[in-house]
Amino acid sequence: MIDFHQVDKHYGQFHVLKGIDLHVQEGEVVVVVGPSGSGKSTMLRCINRLETITSGGLTVDGITVNERKTDINTLRKEIGMVFQHFNLYPHKKVIDNITLAPVKVLGLSKAEAEKTAMYYLEKVGIADKAESYPSQLSGGQQQRVAIARGLAMKPKIMLFDEPTSALDPEMVGEVLDVMRALAREGMTMVVVTHEMGFAREVADRVIFMDQGQIVEEAEPEAFFASPKEERTRTFLSRVLSH
Amino acid sequence: MEGFYGTLLSSVLALIGSFLIGAVVAVFRMTSVKGLRWFGAVYVEFIRNIPLLLVVYIFYYGPSALGFTLDGFKAGTIGLAVYTSAFIAEAIRAGIMAVPKGQMEAARSSGLSYIQTMLHIILPQAIKLVIPPLGNQFINLIKNSSVLTLVAGLDLMYFADGISTETYRTFDTYIFVAVFYLVLTLPLSYGVRIWERRLQRKY
Repeated sequence: MIDFHQVDKHYGQFHVLKGIDLHVQEGEVVVVVGPSGSGKSTMLRCINRLETITSGGLTVDGITVNERKTDINTLRKEIGMVFQHFNLYPHKKVIDNITLAPVKVLGLSKAEAEKTAMYYLEKVGIADKAESYPSQLSGGQQQRVAIARGLAMKPKIMLFDEPTSALDPEMVGEVLDVMRALAREGMTMVVVTHEMGFAREVADRVIFMDQGQIVEEAEPEAFFASPKEERTRTFLSRVLSH
Repeated sequence: MEGFYGTLLSSVLALIGSFLIGAVVAVFRMTSVKGLRWFGAVYVEFIRNIPLLLVVYIFYYGPSALGFTLDGFKAGTIGLAVYTSAFIAEAIRAGIMAVPKGQMEAARSSGLSYIQTMLHIILPQAIKLVIPPLGNQFINLIKNSSVLTLVAGLDLMYFADGISTETYRTFDTYIFVAVFYLVLTLPLSYGVRIWERRLQRKY
């Protein structure tokens, strides 16, 4: 579904991604962990071309992402994205946040789009907030709206960029619950997170990145119980010991 | 009274003109096309940093060098529009830049095009930030329209000068003129504040 082949990326002099090889199967949940500045978010953002790659190959659903003839908006229809800071549209009601893209990009009628939106709001447990503005919602509720907004496009892939990092601790659970349910339904997901519990429980595969490289990848059980690389062990001992 | 209409007409025309030019220049300054960006920057820096009177003179005396003429009203109004547009371009640009980057990313990643994103997400948010400085610019514009006098632009001040020399009631005349300017600027300033508050309340 998603194929990185020897992908490199530079920001000027700074080598952000070094020879990334990663293959994500349909229906797979891949969780990416690693220290800040290791390139995990950058790698994720390459998948829908919020970042461009410098060299190497990257295909999503068989389509080459970085090619002049690729219609990026067509590709992006298939890829939902959830951000650390939610990025809901503050001037639009919750329901309009969700229906905008389905109406403008997929060409659904307003009524159809609203029906879909309500279905997904129901699913993330905040149908009663449809007529509210984002600023009237808690962080956890906003992030659930953001997930519903992504799902309303009926994407093949969902990308999560540290979806719980900006949340108060007591709201992390409600967002992870929604993501857990989504994973169970077979959505293809790539999740950048610091939530090790979530990685251990939900991931099909855990990727550890450091300094722009994929250092280790393994099934969660093996990854947490017996990491092979020294750098992984150091990282895990730091994040798990407190 | 004729001067009042002159000032009003010139201000309204310059207001519309300066907004349109300003919006286009703001877009120029933000495109990825280097030449346009450069043009926009030069335009803003050049116009913004010379006195208004000089800009008006350029449009008043400039055309005769090219073999045609603009009367004082036209030259003054065009000059006013061009001068104000540089400030408006900066206000609009600042407003658009102040919308968080995540808004563009969220909209684009959902498959909306750049234009759709601008139209539905960025501009509606930018307008809220742009209204106060835009209101200021428009009030300045009305007051600045008094420079039309110096190119015989048939505005309020032009007629006031005439009346005061005829009647020798200088002070009375200019007080009266000040009231006329206030009749134009106060409702504008009040209207801007109401509009601002209405947008503020919505979300």
